[in-house]
Amino acid sequence: QEAVIPGCHLHPFNVTVRSDRQGTCQGSHVAQACVGHCESSAFPSRYSVLVASGYRHNVTSISQCCTISGLKKVKVQLQCVGSRREELEIFTARACQCDMCRLSRY
Amino acid sequence: SGWWGNLVGCAVREFTFLAKKPGCRGLRITTDACWGRCETWEKPILEPPYIEAHHRVCTYNETKQVTIKMPNCAPGVDPFYTILCCSTVTTECETI
Repeated sequence: QEAVIPGCHLHPFNVTVRSDRQGTCQGSHVAQACVGHCESSAFPSRYSVLVASGYRHNVTSISQCCTISGLKKVKVQLQCVGSRREELEIFTARACQCDMCRLSRY
Repeated sequence: SGWWGNLVGCAVREFTFLAKKPGCRGLRITTDACWGRCETWEKPILEPPYIEAHHRVCTYNETKQVTIKMPNCAPGVDPFYTILCCSTVTTECETI
């Protein structure tokens, strides 16, 4: 166990974009992801939860995960074979927050 | 917050709740729960669904059963109440 700043924050990563599988045009960009440490817990379920679930839901989880709360589009310049250039739009994270974990969203 | 103020990972932590069972008086119980902060992330990707997620939560890796005898139960009411709680040995981040 180590100590870090808790929370969910923007984190840059390199993305390589190709216009097709042959890589006719390609370019790279530093996009933003959301990375962090959000709180989660698991504890014994209340009696009412046990009864309502037929004694199957015997552990209750209250959890948050690091999520992207806002996206924006950025333009990436692609260099093609020869001296031709193309432009492509990709998404990058604009804001992050600790929120519902992915499976509980659907 | 205590020593866990900046904790990363999962730990066993005391959890107090009021156990209730119809026909018996409530009983305040202190037991072990799993608590912590797992590293999780989301990043935009070029293909659908356009966001890749790596989400994990602190949960029970191993559980132990604890049976409690509830107080002042009415005649004919089973006074025993079984709960699952964290093993004091292991608790960890697990993918959901």
